[in-house]
Amino acid sequence: MFGGTVRGKTTTLRVPRDTDLDAHRRWAADMRVRRAGPIGRWHEPAASETWKEGWTEQAKDKTSVLWSIDAGDARDQPVGYIRIRFEGAPHSDKVLLDQFVIDPDRSGLGYGWDAALTLHRWIFDYMHLRMAVVDRIAADDVGRQRILEKLGHERFGHGHRVYYRDGAYVDQYLYQMELEAWDDRWSGEREYPPLGDEKAV
Amino acid sequence: MFGPRLDGTNGVSLRTPTLEDHKTFVHWTLEPEATRFWGGRIADIRDEAFAERHTKDAESQNSVTWSIAFENETVGFTGLFDIDWVSRDAESGIFIGRHDLYGRGIASETIRLRTAFAWRELGLLRVHNWISLRNRGSRRANEKAGYRQMGLMKRYAFRSGQWYDDWQGEVFSPDIPAGTFVPPSTGG
Repeated sequence: MFGGTVRGKTTTLRVPRDTDLDAHRRWAADMRVRRAGPIGRWHEPAASETWKEGWTEQAKDKTSVLWSIDAGDARDQPVGYIRIRFEGAPHSDKVLLDQFVIDPDRSGLGYGWDAALTLHRWIFDYMHLRMAVVDRIAADDVGRQRILEKLGHERFGHGHRVYYRDGAYVDQYLYQMELEAWDDRWSGEREYPPLGDEKAV
Repeated sequence: MFGPRLDGTNGVSLRTPTLEDHKTFVHWTLEPEATRFWGGRIADIRDEAFAERHTKDAESQNSVTWSIAFENETVGFTGLFDIDWVSRDAESGIFIGRHDLYGRGIASETIRLRTAFAWRELGLLRVHNWISLRNRGSRRANEKAGYRQMGLMKRYAFRSGQWYDDWQGEVFSPDIPAGTFVPPSTGG
């Protein structure tokens, strides 16, 4: 499935468009993005037709959701993308953050943090799901670790020598965040303002 | 892909799954005696769905699946999934559908055969899995084969009035190369 509009402060999660495919093709072939491991490798570099087929499959897949990330100063290209999977679908109360990529040429501008906060607002405030899980963070990926820990994720696992790249193995960290942690830390983050009492006539 | 026949001890062997095996597997996942630590006991049981899934497993390039046989009778299934051929890592799983045979060492022998195959035939360097912490039998069988805890997810699932935590384990090939390791960051 494709995700609808969720607005953050500096980024917006929005429905992917065909014109976003160029950016995906570029990211899939960018070693700076691929270095993150599985969370930055949705697909291998591929021909245009293969990308279109993958896009069609994503649109049909009811166990995952893909958003493009727009930023206010972007022109017609997304600054990244997010993909989640419903863990244990179709009776799922957890989401797994499968892909989380910010264009490396636009990194350091806070887009990653804002998009992650916006996504978690959708997960907990709008969808009221029980848990968000990330099981694919490279142990030297300080940027994503900082974002997750600032959100309130707790590290619950440490896999050893999991990802091979750049001639060496790197460990893996696993994170989880429950609805209660969101409510404790981000109770002011609401998709809609509260409604007043309404009495039935 | 499907795995080849591997003969173990105590009457246990791993066999190439048949379509009939596949149908039996799915029906087991719908029975309460075998699914306390499994999924939601729901499945697509149309004949075409069985055939489609069986073909998909056969054609998969990043998984290996087997039927488990005990004294020549199919009693469950196992496999290595999500194989990362670059990092030489995979996730493992096992399901014994014949609950009347629990406690007979079938899982332990299955995991031993499967793990040896991962190292000796596939050249994998690491296998990991997720097991309900309360599923003591499965956890012990994996620990016997060398799996060690690498994580514990709190409140993974809620069933029959109780929270179930989930245990994450990993096991390494004796051939894992030394000296090619990036140390973790000191903090996020």
